Amino acid sequence: MMKLARVGAVIEKEMKEIVRDPITVAVALLMPMVMLFLFGYAISLDVDDVSLGILDYDRTPASRELVDRFIESGYFQLAESYASANSVEDGLQRNVIRLALIIPRGFQELIARGGISPVQVLVDGTYSATANLAATYAQTIISGFANDTSPLVQVQARVWYNPSLRSVNYVVPGLFGVILMAFPPLLTALAITREKETGSIQQIFASPLTPTEFLAGKLVPYGFIAFMQIAMVIAVGFLWFGVPLRGNLLLLAAAGLVYVFCTVGIGLLVSTVTRSQLVAMLLALIITLMPSFLFSGFLFPIFTMPYVLQLYTRIFPTRYFVDLSRGIVLKGAALPDLWPSVALLMAYTVAIFMLAAWRFRKKVA
Amino acid sequence: MRTQLAGLVIKETIQFLRDRIMLILVLWLYTIEVVICTLALSIEVKEMALATVDLDRTPESRALVESFLVTDAFASAGYAASTAEATEWLQSGRARAALVVPQGFQRDLVRADSPSVQILLDGTNSNVAAQARGYALQIVSAFRAPIVTAGDTARGAQPVVRVWYNPDQTYTSFMVLSMVALAALMVGVICPAASIVREKESGTIEQLRVTPIGTGELFIAKTLPTLVMGLLSVFPSLLITWWFGVPLRGSLILFLGLTAVFLVSAIAIGVLIATVSRTLQQALLLSFFGLFPMMFLSGTVSPVESMPEVLQTLSLASPLRHYLDITLGIFLKGAGLRELWPQALILVAIGILLFGLATRIFSRNAA
Repeated sequence: MMKLARVGAVIEKEMKEIVRDPITVAVALLMPMVMLFLFGYAISLDVDDVSLGILDYDRTPASRELVDRFIESGYFQLAESYASANSVEDGLQRNVIRLALIIPRGFQELIARGGISPVQVLVDGTYSATANLAATYAQTIISGFANDTSPLVQVQARVWYNPSLRSVNYVVPGLFGVILMAFPPLLTALAITREKETGSIQQIFASPLTPTEFLAGKLVPYGFIAFMQIAMVIAVGFLWFGVPLRGNLLLLAAAGLVYVFCTVGIGLLVSTVTRSQLVAMLLALIITLMPSFLFSGFLFPIFTMPYVLQLYTRIFPTRYFVDLSRGIVLKGAALPDLWPSVALLMAYTVAIFMLAAWRFRKKVA
Repeated sequence: MRTQLAGLVIKETIQFLRDRIMLILVLWLYTIEVVICTLALSIEVKEMALATVDLDRTPESRALVESFLVTDAFASAGYAASTAEATEWLQSGRARAALVVPQGFQRDLVRADSPSVQILLDGTNSNVAAQARGYALQIVSAFRAPIVTAGDTARGAQPVVRVWYNPDQTYTSFMVLSMVALAALMVGVICPAASIVREKESGTIEQLRVTPIGTGELFIAKTLPTLVMGLLSVFPSLLITWWFGVPLRGSLILFLGLTAVFLVSAIAIGVLIATVSRTLQQALLLSFFGLFPMMFLSGTVSPVESMPEVLQTLSLASPLRHYLDITLGIFLKGAGLRELWPQALILVAIGILLFGLATRIFSRNAA
């Protein structure tokens, strides 16, 4: 049925087209690296070095000690000492400081007498996630100040799978899913619609080439590019960023293979419903890149979404692959833990491919 | 001269309005996208599945468990019988956090022995885990045992925390505003890039070149519709921000003015991309390539202060960062030009620089 020589010829032709377009190749190979470095270094909600503004009405050893405690905690960095409440407000508005500590007059005296002195903390709440953490740290420092009684209950927080809370550790495994969804479908869809736009697809159909051979020849080069991307991300992720690999690399590779089929299948499906490259591109953007970014749990946790949107995330396969990949890499999970995601991913892939093949054959016939 | 330019602008506007796909994209970015993202995306920890292991089974331990479950941050994933079972739940994903109250909790509490409770967190999403840890610390430190009231903070300092600009501590305002800013960037970059490259692809750019139209005029005509469209699209977004209850504390005119400045720099990036690419595919891929770092270094996804020094410095080059400061400042903080002039100045500088560069490359390519 399928003649390898003919498939080879299509692959060769496609390769030539790819090589002739250096911008596309460069973007396809550089982009994953840029994404990896940005995500690895730039995404962090860790609260350290919150710029702190001080308004000390008391100016006593006790008030200075409280300020020192803030700075020594490592969470805050002294940005400005103010003399009036107005200038504090101004500093918050200008983004010079994120948190202001206002110590009232008589602070030392009140504490020395055994009383409770209020201390005001003003937090810039525009970015609520970090504002919240910064406020918590400030509260803890103040409550512990000049209070010799040991805390009522102590907390031992243990973070599993990622004890140092490094964001790279959670970004890299998720990034496999996003990168494989960003490029293969887009490039495959474009490769086929391009021939449609120029009309050269008719010539191909008039040739002895069968649709299956044509598709195989079209998909192999892009599958290869996808493989290169993944290999690079894995290498840089594990070697440069030191992401631990706790599970089985083979299992990850096998899941990745299924997933690549799935993404390429989506690209194929897109190409069967569109005629122009622009439409194919935008469609690919809307059904692959955006959801894999926003609705896969890659960056934004799914469990905080409204229920309807949680259901919406189930439509896209990236979610299953991100679960799988995180499970294997960080938790060292094996098949027994992961089978629901594996099964869903496989079913998804088979369904997509059948649908795409059916649509494609119908078009040809 | 003037009629030529007018004619060209009319042609471009007609083309812009005829291109349904682009129009749909613009509207989609400014409205549906903003709504969906605001509703769905949040890094706030809400209803995190918490497994509780109560090995003490006393009124005090139950009170502590209860104080976790009544918050919005945690939701019960069930009571596990042992730490081992809770561990299994973490592994399978049934729970994302576990609270382990040790045996003898109440006894130690009465003796003022400071018993320790254990919080186990699934760190696969480090940001969520960090937040959850913060909440847990907050809950435990606020925990006042019903039986034991001794050891109350009789002396010391008491924090009075006020959160400004966003007293409800919601993520909504930030998300709406940053999505609107992002939409302006995407529209500003993609529309002019696509419109110029399309003329290149179809070869009509050659026809434009043989007409008496100057490159400067062509350039203005190509970018003006995007600028106008970008500004007009702000209005549906304003409705959305209003619907989400985001306050507009500052001046709307100032916001529109600075949005125009920002759009100019975004459009310049689009033109730069169009001059180097031959096909639509290249233009789109390059746009992604440029948009990504700009988006990440702007503070839309995670705060700039948490980034390493080098990236913080780099982020100064991203126009989106300054625009985001401006947007948040005007809407939430009620800031005016008096506070925002540094950002506005940088934005103008970036705009002039990029636009000048784009014009130069564009006219050289055209000549």
